[in-house]
Amino acid sequence: MASPTVVRELQRDLENKANDLSKLQKDISKNHQIRKKYTIQLGENELVLKELDLLNEDANVFKLIGPVLVKQDMAEAKANVKKRIEYISTELKRLDSTLQDLEEKQNNKKETILKLQQKIQSLQAGKGKA
Amino acid sequence: MEAPIKGTVTSLSSLFPVEEAQKASKRVEESRTERQKQLDQLREFAADNNTLINLVQRLPDQLHHDIMVPFGKAAFFPGRLVHTNEFLVLLGEGHYAERTAKQTVEILNRRGKALEVQVEAVKALMQDLKAEASFFDATASESADGLVEIREDYVEETSTKEASMKGMYHLLLIYVLHINGTVKPELTISSEAENVPSVKDEEYDRILSRLAELEKEEEEAENANQEELGEAGSDISLDDVILEEEMKSSELKERGESRFQSTEKFPDNWHVEGSKSTSKENCLPENLAYGKFNLTESAPREPQVKEDAPREPQAKEDVKAPVIAEAKADALPTKPRFDSSKAFTGSIIEHTSDVNSREQSVSRSSKPVSRFKMQRK
Repeated sequence: MASPTVVRELQRDLENKANDLSKLQKDISKNHQIRKKYTIQLGENELVLKELDLLNEDANVFKLIGPVLVKQDMAEAKANVKKRIEYISTELKRLDSTLQDLEEKQNNKKETILKLQQKIQSLQAGKGKA
Repeated sequence: MEAPIKGTVTSLSSLFPVEEAQKASKRVEESRTERQKQLDQLREFAADNNTLINLVQRLPDQLHHDIMVPFGKAAFFPGRLVHTNEFLVLLGEGHYAERTAKQTVEILNRRGKALEVQVEAVKALMQDLKAEASFFDATASESADGLVEIREDYVEETSTKEASMKGMYHLLLIYVLHINGTVKPELTISSEAENVPSVKDEEYDRILSRLAELEKEEEEAENANQEELGEAGSDISLDDVILEEEMKSSELKERGESRFQSTEKFPDNWHVEGSKSTSKENCLPENLAYGKFNLTESAPREPQVKEDAPREPQAKEDVKAPVIAEAKADALPTKPRFDSSKAFTGSIIEHTSDVNSREQSVSRSSKPVSRFKMQRK
């Protein structure tokens, strides 16, 4: 009878697929964490930009670089913050697309796993009857 | 009614195993405590901000303050605070600005407002989670109590006219066949709504007005303009496709909440009476009739959900979700997506989903991942 080997093979396959799935899920959760971080940063940067916009042109602005405060031009500071916001936004977009990709993969994996499980079950049921 | 084996009887515990429901409720509880922590932290920030504002306002009152200057971790030495009207304010991201006390207070006030907004957002989330938790708890207890769900596929021959309207909010008609044989259809509007309540309200108004229009037309003239309605109907179905997309992406708990709201929002007088429904059938738009056909022929849901296949399980969740609500007793008014108390007056409940898809959904129900998908942010 070939069915025991078939079942064994299927089970091995299932195991591999399950591992893949858990890996994917880990990736997704990592993605979520990074995204959370970036979203917080984006909010902070937007706040900074708002405050900078509210400042007078002649106000003294400093940037903390390492241990020292470096005096910065108002325009320069604004440009820096804007650039940062832009960067974060693109990064967020990128993360979104990868997340979508990952979720699609995850769903596909889930489906194949389900199919495999059903196959195994039907095989086992058939064996039990025979 | 006459045919004995028409519907199916499924115990709720087979659809939603007790342990699964309990697990889900535990998970919701966990995320709730997490949010609570976040909320506490935000409140702390806000309090800190307020004390800081007070301090900054008081500092320039005097030219200098005698203070103890912290030196290292545990040591202090006496010192004097001068330039009491000059502040170096951290704006965030390593940017500092020199401000006066007054300007600083302005900045701090703005910050406080931002914090308030965040607090409100977290509060709303908490409420959603609370609703979800109670939902799962109720499901678990009902499942443990051995509640039974009765379903029957709609058969065209019966005198009842079935109209399925899938509007912006997935209107569903539930027909309750009474034991005495008289058939009295009731229109229950369910919403698998999502997202922002403001949008929802608007759209509800639109649906309501559309329904009102339809009813008026029926009453005034039996032969309503077919083409006009057909057009309106196609609008609906288009929107519907979009809606289905949205529904799937939306969180379960949000649906749970809006479900509750929807039943409240629709007064009983929106239920179409049996006498009217006959005429209503005549002016049904084609695609609605198609939807009905879909239901009555026990066709799978796929035609309506043309989107990608991986989403299918969740679409089935959507189908399945109302089932619990129906099976629920009226003692639980917070849950039902449908007007459950009404829907349960009869012996048999007509439903949009067919046996096949339900069976699939049963088999899937052992997979909690998609059903209890938590909101991640």
